[in-house]
Amino acid sequence: MATRMKLKLKTVFVLYFMVSLMGLIYALMQLGQRCDCTEHDMPKDRTISRLRGEVHRLQEQMKKAEMTKSPQKQPVKAPQPTIFVITPTYARFVQKAELTRLSQTFMHVPQLHWILVEDSPHKTPLVTDFLAKSGLTYTHLHIATPKDRKLQEGDPSWLKPRGAEQRNEGLQWLRDDGRDQQAAVVYFADDDNTYSLQLFEEMRGTQRVSVWPVGLVGGMRYERPVVEGGKVVRFHTGWRPSRPFPMDMAGFAVSLKLVLANQDACFDGNAPMGFLESSFLQGLVTMDELEPKADNCTKVLVWHTRTEKPKMKREEALQAQGLGSDTAVEV
Amino acid sequence: MPKRRDILAIVLIVLPWTLLITVWHQSTITPLLASRKDKDESSDSSSNSRNTFALKESCSLQEPDIVEVVRTEYVYSRPPPWSDVLPTLHIITPTYSRSVQKAELTRLANTLLHVPNLHWILVEDSQRRTSLVSRLLRETTLNYTHLNVETPRNYKVRGDTRDPRIPRGTMQRNLALRWLRETFSGNRSQPGIVYFADDDNTYSLELFEEMRSTRKVSVWPVAFVGGLRYESPKVNTLGKVYGWKTVFDPHRPFAIDMAGFAVNLRLILYKPQAYFKLRGVKGGYQESSLLKELVTLHDLEPKAANCTKVLVWHTRTERPVLVNEGKKGFTDSTVEI
Repeated sequence: MATRMKLKLKTVFVLYFMVSLMGLIYALMQLGQRCDCTEHDMPKDRTISRLRGEVHRLQEQMKKAEMTKSPQKQPVKAPQPTIFVITPTYARFVQKAELTRLSQTFMHVPQLHWILVEDSPHKTPLVTDFLAKSGLTYTHLHIATPKDRKLQEGDPSWLKPRGAEQRNEGLQWLRDDGRDQQAAVVYFADDDNTYSLQLFEEMRGTQRVSVWPVGLVGGMRYERPVVEGGKVVRFHTGWRPSRPFPMDMAGFAVSLKLVLANQDACFDGNAPMGFLESSFLQGLVTMDELEPKADNCTKVLVWHTRTEKPKMKREEALQAQGLGSDTAVEV
Repeated sequence: MPKRRDILAIVLIVLPWTLLITVWHQSTITPLLASRKDKDESSDSSSNSRNTFALKESCSLQEPDIVEVVRTEYVYSRPPPWSDVLPTLHIITPTYSRSVQKAELTRLANTLLHVPNLHWILVEDSQRRTSLVSRLLRETTLNYTHLNVETPRNYKVRGDTRDPRIPRGTMQRNLALRWLRETFSGNRSQPGIVYFADDDNTYSLELFEEMRSTRKVSVWPVAFVGGLRYESPKVNTLGKVYGWKTVFDPHRPFAIDMAGFAVNLRLILYKPQAYFKLRGVKGGYQESSLLKELVTLHDLEPKAANCTKVLVWHTRTERPVLVNEGKKGFTDSTVEI
């Protein structure tokens, strides 16, 4: 019996040893597969595409939420008045960046129609492609400023009024368009300013011309109309307060009705510095007809920010050597 | 004796198999555990992020969890959707008080509101958190964390200048990194990406989606830096970064701008000693001071179509010349700009 047991044990052990050895090798191979990158790249790619799908789904969700939330908020049952934003723009290094961040603000505003007018004899591909991808409702126009009115390299920015022809082109388009949006509002938004979302809701109810403070303009922290008894009595500004309307382009909005009723009202490109706004508003409205917004003109909801011109010394040096950065890459 | 031998034999047979089976199970179970933990952590962190934090104070201020959008006539933004699947983007923005601060933060917030699963870590360079920034953050309804640390001022120089030896924003970014390490120390597999976004740059929405798939450190071109139209990493045909297409000192370990890279949160937690160097950093070497602790050139992941598209612009805002304010201040100082 002892020998049998012995034999049994021995064979059992040998058998077991072989089986466990094979098992361990198999297990090691399984664990070792982590180093096998080809098999793991696929799940990673799958994860990436799954994440992309998720992002896309969320973005669609956000867009839907943007579109449906406004009817819920409006106490009035009528559809919201459209805000037509006229933005003159011109080609320079920071143009795409400015338009990008401006569009990111506009994307939050419901019922906004962007009229982008290029200072150019023809539509540039940069702006065309940009607008197509922006996801906004837009109209793309262009008109070149005549040479004598155009700022030259090295001119200070205040030397000649800028954007007059482009804004007039925008107004003309609105007049020609003949759409029946009588309750709409027209706002002139430059591409380098900063706008809070609250501003657009303030201007939506404009009946004739509404006004509000503008930050960081006129050499002051802000400029604003002074309101007494719900009416604008004068303007608080540090520079030439005797102008008919001493305010910045970003400080007022006009109802479309008024624009259509006064077919000749436009910006005078030959107006002296600082009188561009007045040249337009003079024919449209008087001071006591102005509608003060932004809590009786005590809150700053728009800032006249200006973007620095990027220093391109090295780029220019490289270009002189013929080694400039790839122009095929759009900046 | 036979019985003992039998028992011994049985034990010897069974023991290694049980060991093998336990090892086997552990390797298959841990991924499941990690994902479950992820779900718990992400829901916790999303509710935590809506509260404000101050590391230096003993009792942290916990503002009520603002989930409902305040329905007034003026607020038209709502919190970006929170998904369990997408890695969170932790955007670290240092900021300091100046006249354009509110404008810059407003338009940056307008941009960030479009990005899902974003957590904004705003660090003020100030002694205490200002009401301007606190109010702005509350009104945006973004998921945020509001921190502050003051860069020590150089009292030897007349006036209110900060210590010029410490590059701007360094202490603030380091504080944010420290906050991330303290908040997420428990769970190392929390998916998140860390990006340093200055408050005056311009970001396209595409950029945020490019950085979401960062495994270690991803890089891309940045416009208007180094005196060029754009600076970018050099990428070879195998999709690996081998150099830097810059004019200004291309031999820096990482010749890239702060806005040109993003780091996986896991890597930040894995290397808890990695911070931006405070002093003795040459101009342009700040980014390298952090990145060299985290990653090698070989591990960089090029994004933006192998670094051929520009998705972020290093714009700078002009300092407004407030000449007409005069000595006493022409405008009402109680009106916030």
